[in-house]
Order: sequence, then C-alpha cells, then structure tokens
Amino acid sequence: MWLMSLLSSYDVASDVNVAIISQPPSPEHLLGTDKLGRDVALRMLHATQAFVGPGILAALVALMIGLSTGAIAGWYGGHVASGLRLMTTSLASIPRFVLLLLASSIYGRDLTTLGIAAGIAYSPTLSEAVYARIVTFRDSGFVLAAKAHGLSSLRILTYHILWSNCKELIWRNILALFGFFLLIETTLSCIGGFGVQEPDPSWGNMIGIGDLQIGANTGNPLATWAPVLAIWLVLTAVAAARGTSVEANR
Amino acid sequence: MSMSKIELRHLKVTAGGKTLVDTTGLTLEAGEAHLLVGASGSGKTLTARSLLGIVPAGANVTDAELIVTLEDGHEVKPYQALPRRRAVERNFTSLRGDVIGYLPQDARGSLDPLMRIGAQVKACLSLNQTDESVESCLARSGFESPERIANLYPHELSGGMAQRAGIAMLLARGSRFVIADEPTTGLDPTVQEGILSELSRLRDSGVGILLITHDLRIVPRLADKLSIMHEGTLTECSSVKLDELDSAPARALWSATARISGDLR
Repeated sequence: MWLMSLLSSYDVASDVNVAIISQPPSPEHLLGTDKLGRDVALRMLHATQAFVGPGILAALVALMIGLSTGAIAGWYGGHVASGLRLMTTSLASIPRFVLLLLASSIYGRDLTTLGIAAGIAYSPTLSEAVYARIVTFRDSGFVLAAKAHGLSSLRILTYHILWSNCKELIWRNILALFGFFLLIETTLSCIGGFGVQEPDPSWGNMIGIGDLQIGANTGNPLATWAPVLAIWLVLTAVAAARGTSVEANR
Repeated sequence: MSMSKIELRHLKVTAGGKTLVDTTGLTLEAGEAHLLVGASGSGKTLTARSLLGIVPAGANVTDAELIVTLEDGHEVKPYQALPRRRAVERNFTSLRGDVIGYLPQDARGSLDPLMRIGAQVKACLSLNQTDESVESCLARSGFESPERIANLYPHELSGGMAQRAGIAMLLARGSRFVIADEPTTGLDPTVQEGILSELSRLRDSGVGILLITHDLRIVPRLADKLSIMHEGTLTECSSVKLDELDSAPARALWSATARISGDLR
C-alpha cells in the first residue's frame, strides 16, 4: 500500500531538479539522482509499471490464442488442424521483433498495444507446444480408457489433458513470454522512438542509448547500473522459475 | 428382474475399403466369462472395442446390430443410428463406464500419468455416485496396502499393479460388464494368476466379462463360453474343453500352444 501511494504520488514530469544533477546515493536519494536530478530509486520502481501489467496482458492474449488454436488443432486434427496450423506457422514466420515494431508504428506506441502485439507474436510458440503435447495424448491408452469410463471429450481435453498434463508446459511458456516482453519493452525504450517515452520511466529508457553515447550518467553510474542489473535479475529469476518447473515435473 | 445382457448380432468393420471384421456375433450375460481367443490380427480387439463404440482411427463400423439389455429390461441399440456416427456416439455415452467398462492391455498407459492412483479411483467413484472409499476399492482389487498405493503415480507401479489399479477403477465405476483386452499379456505367471483370480472374483460378483486373449491356457481357469476369432470371423465353440475344440483354427492354436508348453497330448 505504501508502495502504491508512493508510486501514485510521484509525478514523473515535475521531479526535475537541476540543482542535484547526477548525485551519488544519499539518505534522501537511495540510488542517487540522474542527469535531470530525478530520484533513480523512485523511477526504478515506477518503471515496473511499464512491463508488469502489459506483460500479464501479453500472457493472457497468448493464452487465449495459443491455447485454443493448439488444443483444437491437436484434438480434432484433419482439415481444422491444417488450417489452424497454417495460420500459426505463417504468423510465426514473421520475426517477433519486426511484428512488434510494425504493431507499434501502425497502432500506436502505448504499452497496451505492445502487450497485445507481444501476446499475438508469442502465441504460435505456445500453440505449437500445446499442439505437440495433445497429439501425443490423443491416441494414447489413457484417453481411450477415459472415454471407455464414459467421460466426455470436452472433459478429457480440458481436465485430463490441458489441466492435468499441460499446465507445467503452459506455465513455462508464459514465463518465457514474460521474459521476452521485458526484454522487448526495455530494448525498444532504450533505443528510443518506440516503447516508453520520456518523461515516463522504463528500465530501458533509464539506460538510454543516447545517454550512453554522451556519458550523461558519469556523475552517478548507478543511474545506468541499477536498470541494467534489474533487467538481468528479473530475466534470471524468470529463467530460474522455468528451470524449477522443469525439475518439479520430473 | 431380467438379467442384463450384451448381444452382438452381427458386425462389419472396414478400413480404407478393406473388410477387417465381418461376422455373426456373440452374447455376453451378467455373471459369465466369455473368452474371445484368436491369433494377432484376427480382429479380436476391433470386435471388443466395437462393443464400446471406440474403434481405432481409420477403422469404421459400417454395419452392426448390438443390443444391450439393462437390468430393468430396457434395451439400448447404439448402432441403430448408423450411418449417423454422431448419433451412435451419443448412444454409447450412456453405456460406457456405467454399463460396459474396459480393461486394456497397456494398463499403465491407460492411467492419467500425472494423477495419483487414489485420485483416479476417486474420480471413478464420483462418476458412479457411491459412498465407497478409495481404499476399499483398492483392497477389493487385491492390494494389500491400499493407503500406500493411493498415493503413488502410475509410473511408480509395476505392470501387474497397474492392471490391478485398472480393476479397482472398474470396481469404483460399477460397470456391469467388463471388456478385458489381453489383460495378462506381458505379465509374469504369478501376476497373471493374480489378475485372473481378480477377474474370476469379479465374474462371481455378477459382472459379465469378455476376455480377449491369444492364450488358450487360461480357458480352463475362467471360461464359461469360448469364441474363436479367425480372419475377421467369430465362431462360438460348443464346448470349453480344450480337447474337444470343434473349430479348425482353434485346434491349430491349441496345438501350437501345447507344443510351446512342451506337453503335446
């Protein structure tokens, strides 16, 4: 709650204070200040809004598209599967990064668009993974036995296959998508032009290609190091979580 | 109260224009064990699975007359709706599990790999809406420590234990008939004997069992009726005595079995 009120009370535009440009850490500014005299720690926290919400949105979109297409294609097979897989593979043939740049330039640079686009861009991967898993189960003895016990196809597909036997797989893919989204968002914001625009903070634009070129943060290196380390830490945590979920599945 | 009964009058199964099974049928009554014996590829499994309406992908039941008489005298004729496959499928949904259960050869592969045995038995119990406990079902199927078994995953079971778990699920499901497709194949003789005695207990409790096998040696152990499947055609033997087999394919199968066993009479 304290964090929420701190974040909502922070005004990204008016925090500029030229009197304290690039100060090293102090009790008032735990991570020091940046080239415009803004508090780095607060901006770090504020910047999480740039990827947490949109990242979850991306996950939901990918789940909706990837899960349904993968499950339907895998379970029913035939022409339905061919059609759906043609759709997902043609989508997958466009590099994700290009797809996101296209979406941003056509539909706007806001994070909601970026989140939806990332979800769509990632959905073929999830779809393919779910499809492959379901195909191996479709003709398996346990599906046959479940049918013979009088269970409906829908229940076998949703409960026994998707829930009981695919949830780890889906979770791993969602974590990967979250990592992917963080990387994309910070990369775009770092390059500038796309992603999060100043004065709104993102770990990406806090690093800032332009700032790096002119050495804007030499006075307080933490202003660059903090976002770099934070990105690395989150990506590592995501990778570790994926690894644990693989281990738990053994 | 009339006896429940499965009556397959005739059956034709084709795949890609080729006829795999074309035969007059067989009957299976409550409380009897009917052995369906034949060489591999003779169509035993197709025949058995057509009783459940689940033939493998690619094969089609093109013509069949199946009459399932329930305990209250009500008759279900699932294949009457042919050639409307969806309607046939709907007819079968009321029969599967409740009336006819299935015990497959690959017992372990027939269990949900990521669900504990207890949970799977429990799921069957809830479908059957009975108050019996999971442990009692497992105990009735011959497990000595049901609490321990209930906590295991399928990959932790041996073939014989998985087969027993399958039987426990059928007990939990309360199926009136059981179609057992080579349930003892690939098990060692002690375990085979255990599974056979569970099946004979099941029969004695009033369940009708159709046992598919290529092993004639279990005939004296269990068979009330014996049918031979040969190249897609069924023949019911007039006697279940192995010395009095009245069909040529059955005699050929028995003499081969006897030669392997080394006691040709």
